[in-house]
Amino acid sequence: MLKCGMSGSQVKVFGKAIQALSRISDELWLDPSEKGLALRSVNSCRSAYGCVLFSPVFFQHYQWSTSVKVNENDSTTSNLNCKLGMKSILPIFRCLNSLERNVEKCKIFTSSDLCKVVIQFFCRHGIRRTHNVCFQESQPLQVIFEKNMCSNMLIIQPRVLAEAVVLFTSSQEEVTLAVTPLSVCLKSSSDEPMDLTSSVYSEMFVGPDEFDFFQIGADTEITFCFKELKGMLTFSEATHAPIAIHFDFPGKPMALSIDDMLLEANFILATLADEPSRASSPPSLCLSQKQKRSDLMCSTNNNSKTGKNATSKAPGCILRKAAPKRLYPNETQTDIPALENCGSPIMKRVNEDISEVPESSVSNTEEGPGSSYLSFLACSLEQFLLTSDNTSTTLLTVWQQQVTVKRT
Amino acid sequence: MKFRAKIVDAACLNHFTRVSATIAKLAKTCTLRISPQKLNFIVSDKAASGGVSMWCELEQENFFSEFQMEGVSAENNAIYLELLSENLSRALKTAQNARALKIKLTNKHFPCLTVSIELLSVSSSSRIVTHDIPVKVIPRKLWKDLQEPTVPVSDVSIYLPVLKTMKSIVEKMKNISNHLIIEANLSGELNLKIETELVCVTTHFKDLGNPQSDIVRNKIIHFDLLHEDVSLQYFIPAFS
Repeated sequence: MLKCGMSGSQVKVFGKAIQALSRISDELWLDPSEKGLALRSVNSCRSAYGCVLFSPVFFQHYQWSTSVKVNENDSTTSNLNCKLGMKSILPIFRCLNSLERNVEKCKIFTSSDLCKVVIQFFCRHGIRRTHNVCFQESQPLQVIFEKNMCSNMLIIQPRVLAEAVVLFTSSQEEVTLAVTPLSVCLKSSSDEPMDLTSSVYSEMFVGPDEFDFFQIGADTEITFCFKELKGMLTFSEATHAPIAIHFDFPGKPMALSIDDMLLEANFILATLADEPSRASSPPSLCLSQKQKRSDLMCSTNNNSKTGKNATSKAPGCILRKAAPKRLYPNETQTDIPALENCGSPIMKRVNEDISEVPESSVSNTEEGPGSSYLSFLACSLEQFLLTSDNTSTTLLTVWQQQVTVKRT
Repeated sequence: MKFRAKIVDAACLNHFTRVSATIAKLAKTCTLRISPQKLNFIVSDKAASGGVSMWCELEQENFFSEFQMEGVSAENNAIYLELLSENLSRALKTAQNARALKIKLTNKHFPCLTVSIELLSVSSSSRIVTHDIPVKVIPRKLWKDLQEPTVPVSDVSIYLPVLKTMKSIVEKMKNISNHLIIEANLSGELNLKIETELVCVTTHFKDLGNPQSDIVRNKIIHFDLLHEDVSLQYFIPAFS
């Protein structure tokens, strides 16, 4: 159960967070906990994840309690598990400037019994606006990403990044961040051969002294989705806080984060990997359901037990090399036999048999693209996760071209 | 073929940016003609642009502190490039507070006009921004279509009223009708008229001067804008 309240200016920041997350996907998870209220969003091809955590001190008042379900011999606490459609919630937080001016107080409350979130605006002149938004029960996905383990970290004022972003047209899909110990360059990225009608190639070099913090381990170039960067940028301009960029090598996800006393925002974006001749890479995105947070860890379990009646099926996800290189979801997800180029069959679908402890694993691919292509895993995983019940912890680990899905 | 030029003066840069923005509003694609003394933006008389054509001329020494070019050959010392006008305009707009702007013709997998900008930044280091604008080199055999149009002998020639006024009037009229009737005489009177089934609106301008010049058959309307170092001529074919 969630009950919180905020003032007009806080509503603006809250609304900006929702707008930034809307650039990632059409669904938003509202995830309250003792740490605060987290808003989470994952895109359909699992190449971008955003989470904005508002700490309890951000709000004027914040109350949260879990509901306890008595279930046979067990009593389990369950979280809110609230998933909202962006189409329902985004219009409520439109016109943020006028909301900031007119709203004196905003209350958001919900409980698990009624499947709805109530957002109330107490405006000037005694006007009260109430929105009841129905939600779907769904456990939020959470990404575990050790951003502090990244060898490269930059902290930059949002204004500088905004000045760079202005160079690119809105039709620019991907941008590349190229760093050396002496300079940082943001440039447009395009694979298609140039012709008269292709867009302008632009690049901007920024010197190290423009950054609040500059730590570069090795020369790197990473390519990621521009739209998601812009989303994060507009949010950071609202919070006036510097943006930290954590990244490693191509293929490993990058994190854009804002950390201040009142809130913590993390946008984890997948980056385009290099050509398949690369060696395999260490764990990248780790997705898990957030039942027991203390248990979450990435293990290097290499057991290769296959589940019974496992069927192999090419997941219908967009995967680099098989489809045009994209990090953003297509309008329609086409069933591409995405693993044609990968030599051996990768994923065996686990049978949904809850009485067992099924495990499935990925066989080694000698020359496969490496474990950084999590989109195909995630789609198959979704099927698997939907069948889980509230008492289980599901762990997905990716390591060295092997994938293990374990349910305890 | 070689071309490299540099602008260091803020006012010149601003002016050049505004000319480029104007061209971008008038035509989607245009031809840039580079010759030793001048720079021209040309939109030629093709059906695609609705029969409209435009010729804009800039004296290069009024803008560029450095200007070097080498045309196709010694006898044909010019370069004709086709590009999307929006691309150049947008690239120049990012050069708001630039210390210097360089333009050169390059060939990076494809011929490009590379605009290289050195920006002033808050800290001591400057930022370097580069834009590669794809262009198409127009072969010499097509140059004859891109020459300065001769101004035909005119019936009436008149100085236009304050452009801002005209602009606001024409913009309002645009909402009512797609066709505009322009009437002018040698007594300094100009009418802008729109006629629809329901309404007919006319704006009258009086006491405009008539320059001593030639007469044209009322087939083409020729707008000639003369401003300091830029001249822009715009031709619109008339319906009747």
